[in-house]
Amino acid sequence: MDSKNINALLEKYWNCETSLEEEQQLKAYFRGKEIPEQLKETAVLFQYFDEHKKKNLNDSGFDQEVLSRVKSPKQGKVTRLMYNTMRIAAGIAVLVIATVLVRNEIRKTNPVAVEDTYDDPKLAFEETKKALMMISKSFGTAQDKAKKINMFNEAQKSVQKDDEDTKAKL
Amino acid sequence: MNLEAFQNRVLPAKNKLFRFALRFLGNEEEAKDVVQEVFIRVWNGREQMNEVENWEAWCMRITRNLSLDRIRSINRKQTQPIEASFDVKLETLTPHESTEAHESMQKITQLIAALPEKQRQVIHLRDVEGYSYNEICDILEIDMNQVKVNLFRARNAVREKLMKINAYGL
Repeated sequence: MDSKNINALLEKYWNCETSLEEEQQLKAYFRGKEIPEQLKETAVLFQYFDEHKKKNLNDSGFDQEVLSRVKSPKQGKVTRLMYNTMRIAAGIAVLVIATVLVRNEIRKTNPVAVEDTYDDPKLAFEETKKALMMISKSFGTAQDKAKKINMFNEAQKSVQKDDEDTKAKL
Repeated sequence: MNLEAFQNRVLPAKNKLFRFALRFLGNEEEAKDVVQEVFIRVWNGREQMNEVENWEAWCMRITRNLSLDRIRSINRKQTQPIEASFDVKLETLTPHESTEAHESMQKITQLIAALPEKQRQVIHLRDVEGYSYNEICDILEIDMNQVKVNLFRARNAVREKLMKINAYGL
């Protein structure tokens, strides 16, 4: 490639109009030995690009290290287990709290209906009878007490009557 | 994707990824760590890989993101002024390279290192690695215009400096 062509190509390069192929041509040209004096510094720039492309990760064990880390993601297993357990626990906790709250809300709005406590009707009957008996027994004692109060009433009445009689006699 | 495909297709990209990470971090050890992490991420996300059109660009993008994360965490840990962290990115040359590199190569190195980050990334992807504009869009997650503008500015900044070097030997 003659210098005229190169100058035209360089102009395109500075204006960012070169294609990748043309840039490769430039690089190839500047790799050569016969470069005019005024392009020496430009040549260094392209050599710099070349030079940097050669820079490699020179660590022979690198691939093995990556592969071994990729194969056994051991570290983090415990954390992942913990993480998953915590996730499940949190889910359950949310569910429990939600149920309790909803239940409370429902109880508030419609008061508890009497629940059946006995399965066997006979047993239920016996229990009811027992309960009624207890009530009637207390009624009985209450009546006895009430009779005593009645006695006072009668006494009061007879006293009043006696009073009236003596007043009439006078 | 099985392990073999991973080994044969993805792992060979390590040098490209390494160079790209090095561009950000300027430290070979850090860059190596980043590349290793990239491969592990790629392996873990291998199911998605079939949907990815250009897996190499995808790897490069992960490299970029992880490198930026790492720069951020380095800055946070050391709480150094931003200016100081720029120095980290100046290329570190191995003894072998520094004896080999002559003066103008060092000038170019400094010149490129002094470019704004985005321009440096674009010029690296285009002129060192030879990616197409579309691939650069993918990798850097910016639109075509921005790629072109950044490349144009980068090349022109380099050109101006080169012209100065030519004219005054600076």
